[in-house]
Amino acid sequence: MLPQLLANGLVTGCSYALVALGFALIYNTTRIFHFAHGAVYTLGAYLFFTFWSLWHIPFILSLFLAFIAIAFIGILIDETVYLPLVRRGSSPLVYIVSSLGLYIIIINIIAMLYGNETKIPLSGLQPTYTFGGIILARIQLLIFLCFIVISAVVFLVLRKTRLGITLRAMRDDSELISVMGIDPIFIRRIVFSLGSVLAAMAAVLNSLDVGMDPHVGMSAILSGVVAVIIGGVGIFEGAILGGILLGILQSLAIWQISARWQDPITFLILILFLLFRPQGILGKRRRMEEASA
Amino acid sequence: MSILELVGVSKSFDGVKAVDSVSLDFSANKITALIGPNGAGKTTVFNLISGFLKPDEGYIRLKEKNLNGLTPFRIARAGIGRLFQDVRIFKEMTVLENVMAAFDNQVGEKWWVPLIEPFRVKKQEREFLQRADELLQFVGLLEKRDDFAESLSYGQQKLLSIARLLASDTEILLLDEPTAGVSPAMVPQILEVIISLRNRGKAVIIIEHNLNVVSEIGDWVFFMDEGQVTYFGLPADVLGNAEVRQAYIGL
Amino acid sequence: MNYLLHIFIMINIYSILALSLNLLVGYAGLLSISHAAFYGIGAYIGTLSIMNLGIPFLPSVLLAVVGSVLLSFIISIPSLRLKGDYFVLGSIGFQIIAFSILYNWVGLTRGPYGIPGIPRPSFFGLTIDSIPAFFIFSLLTAVLCAVLIYIITYSPFGRLLKAIREDETAAEALGKNVTRCKITAFALAAGFAAISGVLFAGYMRYIDPTSFTMMESVYILSIIIIGGTGNLSGPITGAVLMIFLPEILRFLQIPDSIAANMRQIIYGLLLIVILRYWPQGLLGDHKLK
Repeated sequence: MLPQLLANGLVTGCSYALVALGFALIYNTTRIFHFAHGAVYTLGAYLFFTFWSLWHIPFILSLFLAFIAIAFIGILIDETVYLPLVRRGSSPLVYIVSSLGLYIIIINIIAMLYGNETKIPLSGLQPTYTFGGIILARIQLLIFLCFIVISAVVFLVLRKTRLGITLRAMRDDSELISVMGIDPIFIRRIVFSLGSVLAAMAAVLNSLDVGMDPHVGMSAILSGVVAVIIGGVGIFEGAILGGILLGILQSLAIWQISARWQDPITFLILILFLLFRPQGILGKRRRMEEASA
Repeated sequence: MSILELVGVSKSFDGVKAVDSVSLDFSANKITALIGPNGAGKTTVFNLISGFLKPDEGYIRLKEKNLNGLTPFRIARAGIGRLFQDVRIFKEMTVLENVMAAFDNQVGEKWWVPLIEPFRVKKQEREFLQRADELLQFVGLLEKRDDFAESLSYGQQKLLSIARLLASDTEILLLDEPTAGVSPAMVPQILEVIISLRNRGKAVIIIEHNLNVVSEIGDWVFFMDEGQVTYFGLPADVLGNAEVRQAYIGL
Repeated sequence: MNYLLHIFIMINIYSILALSLNLLVGYAGLLSISHAAFYGIGAYIGTLSIMNLGIPFLPSVLLAVVGSVLLSFIISIPSLRLKGDYFVLGSIGFQIIAFSILYNWVGLTRGPYGIPGIPRPSFFGLTIDSIPAFFIFSLLTAVLCAVLIYIITYSPFGRLLKAIREDETAAEALGKNVTRCKITAFALAAGFAAISGVLFAGYMRYIDPTSFTMMESVYILSIIIIGGTGNLSGPITGAVLMIFLPEILRFLQIPDSIAANMRQIIYGLLLIVILRYWPQGLLGDHKLK
């Protein structure tokens, strides 16, 4: 029982990691608490559903179209909602509330167009594979695979490319990069488009696994945020670690305590981290003292 | 008769000693200036005294009372007032409200008192109003009394923050660059206020980059460099010292 | 006519919620997304006291308020160490945990099945058993709460809250116990929210946890952001506007199936637009920067 639970938890964690990574990309570089990431997530799943299930566009092409559209939408969100606030020097409060407003708008448009019922793009029994006592569905393997590939790509990009180094530098000082001659708008577009695509990817995979409804984005974004905090804010690897850890912890919690308490346990973990280890597992203790000048 | 002293105080950040075994003492009725190049640790010393930072070593004593580990508001209540380099006025409140907010021992600040003893609160508010007006008069901001603090010029905001500090009526005043960023026309006004504070018996401690100000109003000077106090004495002596001049010109 | 009274009763209930959240957001400057949790806690404690413990109405209100205030310490004391986004996250965490407990502790709260048959408020031999009577009752309660909040906010305590909102560090340096003040603001907000909860329970005569979700907290927050923070007219205006909004939509003959969604889209839009162009809200005093 335990190994199966751990395996399931790992797969769920992979999905969380993808969402968390997308969120972290945006938060680390822009410091915007992009709650609407959850709406982008949901939108990704629904766009794919429209292309593939409703319009019967071939699978790969549907994916491609959905991701392209989401990338654009991510950039659009930043440029219409967040950038004007940045120019005004807004406080974190304003971003998070605007983002909540945006979430509400997008989710309700989806609900209006598609209804509130759960949609299942992929119906029927899925092929499963057995690995020494652990049974995994094909889609779960796919999720795991995507996660591995994406993580590897992210690792390489962050360590080896100029873009990656820039992104990591922005964590400490986002104004530094404009001094370095890099266009900050360009960077924002990169992170919003890539971050959104990661969310969409996770959403599509999850929708193929368990279906979707307009409200899946809420738990996705909350899990993503918890993952980022647990793993370490500001550290991309932290998002990945946090996601996996969260998935596994939740599985263990379900094993011991009923699944009904999954949410409060997740948030209890979050609160414990916020209070006792706000820098997350991988983070370094930052100077928190109040220094005025 | 030093009223405030630091003994062997050190503070490090990420392995760098911002303040290195510093000993300072301050007396009432005196304007003591803390000077030194940028990054010497002067503002860190202020943060340590006012409790926003905790010393790694050494101790800070206010009239025999050890201040180590006290929270900022307790240190303020013990009698140490702080003027910040970035003015920190209450922007969306009026000039008068800024000063009124600063008074100590307001019965109305306990939430239930205005509900059950409204007259007692009103009476105290009337007293505070009078004192506030006097303070505003003293710093020359009385006509601006009902204006929002954010509409004031930088120099006026500095004066407001001084008035606010005076309202809290502390014996010791830490003024972090009181004349910085203020138009030259307003500087004499501020200096006058600082001098009269000293004359009223306060221990005034200023961080100042403007050496003219230091020589004009300073009674005693500490020179800091790279976290350590290297010279101290009368303004003429310290400012005349070759190495001190070197540190400033060498900037 | 009863329908109009229904709207006004809801306005009264939400006015108390808005005014109390304003103490936290508009005066102390603490963005909390957990107000619905206290609304719900008040509703449940009040209801359970009356129905399970047989406590009369007025003492049960007191119990609800006290319970809500005590529970507010659980969130305020730890979370005040958190800054900015982290504080908001902490409040979201508390909200979700509180909701989960209301929803999953079926033995205590009957969870998703809700609690039906809640009696009408009854005290001093008087029972508020008609809609018009409840309207008057809720109006008087709302006015009483508004007066209390008015006195609190226009007092030196309110001034101190504003100072903390404007610059916490400066307030500390002036010798003010900022932490205790914030905890007090939280407790006051929670207490008033509990009163709204009890009103709601006594009016609807049925409560279940789905009325007290995180989105409900966001809704209450929107009321004060749109209506305006930092004074009394803002939150009340916000409550009136937001409760009339669905009626306006109904008047415009938007089909019921999408009316709920349209309403949410409009208020999401209002939120973004107001924060961008009118950060002080319609009638507020304080600009959310």
